Amino acid sequence: MSKSVVLCLASILFLNSTLGLYEDQIKKFDWKLTQIGKVNNAFLDLNPYQQNRLIVSTEENVIASLDPLSGNVQWRQILENQPRGQLKLIQMLVDDSAPKTAVRHQSSKSPYDILTVQGHSPAIVRGWNAFTGNLEFEWSLVPLQTETAEDSFWFHGNDMNLYHVIPNFGSHLEVTEYIANNGNSKGTTSKISASWIQKDKCLISGSYYICLEGSHLLALDLTATSPQILKKVVPSSPKTSLKAVRGVSGAVSLDGFIYSFDEKEKLCGDKVSGQSLLKAFQGDESLLVEADLKNNVLEISVKSVESCETWQNVKSTVQYPSHNGVPEVLAFSCRTNRQNTKVCSFVLTTEDEALLYVQGDKIRWAREEALANVVSGEFIDLPLSDSDGSIEDELKSKPGNENDSDLFGAFSRRVVSQIHLVRSIFLHVLGLGPAPTATQKAGLIRDAFGLHKMLVVLTQTGKVYGLDNINGKIHWSNYLRSVENFNNGEEMKLIVQRTSKHFPKQPICTIITKSAETKKGVLFSFNPITGAQIGETNNLNYEIQQIAFLPEDTTEFLKAIVLFDHNNQVHVIPENYKKQADGLYLFTANKKSAILNGFHLKFNEKSGQLQPQPIWTVNLSGHGSTQEITSIAAKNPIEHVHSQGRVLNDRSVLYKYINPNLVAVVTQGLDNIHKFVMNVHLVDVVSGSVVFSLTHRKVRGPIKIVHSENWLAYSYFNDKVRRSEITAIELYEGKVQANSSVWSSLDAPPMPLVERQSYILPFSVEFLKETITERGITNKHVLIATSAGNIMEMPWFYLDPRRPIIQPNQPREEGVLPYIPELPFIQENMINYNQTIARIQSIFTAPSGLESTCLVLATGLDLFVTRVSPSKTFDLLKEDFDYYLIAMVLVALTSASLFVKQLSARKILKQAWK
Amino acid sequence: MQKLTVFLIFTVVSSSLAYLDSDGWLNIELHHALSSDPSKFSFRGNITVSSLTNGLANDDQNTLTAEEKQSIIKLAENNDFYRVRATVSYSDGSKNTFLTSTKACTLVSSQLTDVFWVSVDSNGFVTAITETVVGQLPGKICGSGEFQPSDLVEFTSDVLIRQMELGPIPDTASFIQKVEREKEARDKGEVKDNRSFFAKYWMYIVPVVVLVMISGATNPEAGGAK
Repeated sequence: MSKSVVLCLASILFLNSTLGLYEDQIKKFDWKLTQIGKVNNAFLDLNPYQQNRLIVSTEENVIASLDPLSGNVQWRQILENQPRGQLKLIQMLVDDSAPKTAVRHQSSKSPYDILTVQGHSPAIVRGWNAFTGNLEFEWSLVPLQTETAEDSFWFHGNDMNLYHVIPNFGSHLEVTEYIANNGNSKGTTSKISASWIQKDKCLISGSYYICLEGSHLLALDLTATSPQILKKVVPSSPKTSLKAVRGVSGAVSLDGFIYSFDEKEKLCGDKVSGQSLLKAFQGDESLLVEADLKNNVLEISVKSVESCETWQNVKSTVQYPSHNGVPEVLAFSCRTNRQNTKVCSFVLTTEDEALLYVQGDKIRWAREEALANVVSGEFIDLPLSDSDGSIEDELKSKPGNENDSDLFGAFSRRVVSQIHLVRSIFLHVLGLGPAPTATQKAGLIRDAFGLHKMLVVLTQTGKVYGLDNINGKIHWSNYLRSVENFNNGEEMKLIVQRTSKHFPKQPICTIITKSAETKKGVLFSFNPITGAQIGETNNLNYEIQQIAFLPEDTTEFLKAIVLFDHNNQVHVIPENYKKQADGLYLFTANKKSAILNGFHLKFNEKSGQLQPQPIWTVNLSGHGSTQEITSIAAKNPIEHVHSQGRVLNDRSVLYKYINPNLVAVVTQGLDNIHKFVMNVHLVDVVSGSVVFSLTHRKVRGPIKIVHSENWLAYSYFNDKVRRSEITAIELYEGKVQANSSVWSSLDAPPMPLVERQSYILPFSVEFLKETITERGITNKHVLIATSAGNIMEMPWFYLDPRRPIIQPNQPREEGVLPYIPELPFIQENMINYNQTIARIQSIFTAPSGLESTCLVLATGLDLFVTRVSPSKTFDLLKEDFDYYLIAMVLVALTSASLFVKQLSARKILKQAWK
Repeated sequence: MQKLTVFLIFTVVSSSLAYLDSDGWLNIELHHALSSDPSKFSFRGNITVSSLTNGLANDDQNTLTAEEKQSIIKLAENNDFYRVRATVSYSDGSKNTFLTSTKACTLVSSQLTDVFWVSVDSNGFVTAITETVVGQLPGKICGSGEFQPSDLVEFTSDVLIRQMELGPIPDTASFIQKVEREKEARDKGEVKDNRSFFAKYWMYIVPVVVLVMISGATNPEAGGAK
């Protein structure tokens, strides 16, 4: 036992590269953006007595307090996910005794500052302290009928009590009153009969329930002792949907008109002049704020409700960035300055999910909350500096070009490039001329190791950002209006059509997405370094079914896009690349029916059209068509496999089965006998052959899968033993390689030998991703994002399916650990150390210029960027490397040896004279 | 002109791991596309798999007419796909259609010898049928030379069943066994090493002795020089 433990320990010690950071390296290679999501409610509290704060709630079920001066998060509470945590109500306490500010005054005796209500079954009511973000109380309510409770809503009455309303559509409303801080009900549930209420046509505004019924608006005051139906006539076919006016009880806006049902609420006319309206108290005065956007100028005006005149001359005219879209005023607050005039601050949320803080005529700060929902990320090489570019030019001799091949041409190019270098010294180093481009001014120049890159991030709303991967600075942003993800939850795509390696041609990135209105494809191309749009936005006249790319061509260095539309027609963008798509293989997968179809594209010379020819069908739906595709994992197309095999203990080589056309398809479904069944199929998508299939019983999702080189790893939840597990699969060709140079899926490739093993995980997995490096020499590690917000770098030798259960006296293989069923949770392998990433959704990896280093972007609510070196930084000197010491030692040694040589020469001379 | 050929029984290589809930039979009807019209398929033959567990299958295929032979050669010359539509009928009467293809020229150069891989799931339902060509005759490499109708006699097909395998589960039992075995061994006491001191540690002693001897051999000379 002791011997094997020592062996184990020794092997772990030798194999395990220590990956932990030193204390002084914290935040040196990584940065994190703390996000909160799109803000939908805000309360601004500026007062002379307390610390200023902006309390917000967001669509991501987060409540937070921001600093109004900087926009930084003071505290943040991440509440439960949808649908359980759906935020139904957030209410700031308005205390009558204190000045009417958003936040409780210190002298207030009320037990809470912020009240939130979430979910419906059970509904959770919580009270929060606005200063610390601490939970003050919590109670929950389990509804009698879960079905009707789903549509239930809550409102906070003027009497400080909480009202719970359950609408029974087509019949009546049930209203129950609760004491907010303990959940005791006041009296019995009252039933208000209202046969006219309909789903999706009603809303709550303050204590009023308002429905649009044909050409009438019907409203009920739910707090009244005997509610009366109030009626108003509206135009019969409204263009917009019904919207409650913020800060007003019983008022809705429809087609630019305001309909108010509460006679006590004054609104200064029934027409909205601006796009956004808000009513709020400032001290004891009731004010109306209107915001109007015209030609990129945002005008915000404040009116007094009493006089309907502009209040204290408060008016803001702001230069508004056009990419932000339509704004909405959420909160405002004013204070008196030394000149005794009012300075007002406005909080706006915009169409592109940004949060703006406007003070006077300026935007003080903006939070880009679209980054809380990232769908895709790409690391783009920065352009070369001028001097590097000319050297690159000099070295790049095109074989086809005659001028380049002769000696004289090469010499003249060298002289020219050296003149350029001398000139650039005068221009830039001595500061005689301006930096040639804006990107160079911003310091966006490729570094020696290719670690500095432009991080292009595409978000769910259609906003793209260019971030600096070293410090997180936003260099540019673009907003694509009204686009959405594809069907089946397939996300929009960000692709690199031309990399920045092909100087002087500019790099091109393209977003392929779907229009929210027409459901047809949209293509948007831009330069990833500057963010400038290239050409027009391409609105396609067909729906996209599948996307493929042609290999980079040799003249334009462009990767053309092949689109497969819903009528199985093939389109190539740009058009003139059509001929090159001849002989391309494509496949489509239907998620519901679990049928995969393979196509071969043929270019018809006569018609100039590409014709897809169906060549194979795979049906994974199984018994009674119960199985549905839940996940498809292909390999990273830029991956290089450096090592073709694995050396065994008898010195023979086990060759890897490296099939670039292999795709893993996971299907899940219910089964009568085995309850939950999950199948994993490895499909060759050129020949349509199912290379290997595995079935797991009593296994549930969510399935996370990673596929690379000759291996596959997937995690799932085992329902039988109630734990997370991970299965690793490795494919080998065997001891001989069929064809080491060319792989053809059609020429009956050999069937792989499959090694498999499962392990128990001590955490639940949110995402799996492999590391990738330039040449694939560095070991591959699997990055595991856990639900606790950690990212673990798991070396492959832990997941290796060839880990044997060791029998004593058995020869052991190099680099293979003995099998232990549970994988360890290695604290020092957590690449985000103590920086928890809230709600991790995905991880993106990219190679850097250094073979040892892989760049990592983790997204979720927060954004985290770092770099990892799976085999340690073998190609880099340590950063605390002592250059001075080694230089001094060298100089000292050289001089000492010269001196000693002199001495010895003299000694020999003396000896010779003796 | 029908000819019955019974083909070899093939057991799946990794049959110990393969998993099937219950045995069943299948009937596969093959149609191939030979004409220029891509949606037109003509009858090729039938394959009957009488047992999925041990892969018993026999096939019954039409001999090719001269016209069909010409069409296959034309496909091969154009480097087109030879496409086969397979309709699978199960014992419960349900049917499923699959499509598979192979390069026509490889099929011709192998003299119409092909293999049908039938992938089945754990309930005996087919997930894919793939036609591949295993060996090409020497001198008849695809893309070179001309094809003669005389090369084509009739289809010679093998049917191989590829079964789904049961996913691995964490092997806690054998790990616990191993730990217990080791514990037992420790309780009993390690096996007494009865070898003498020198037999046990000779590998450490010998180098030391050699070193001492070498230094001893060099020292006297140095002393002598002094």
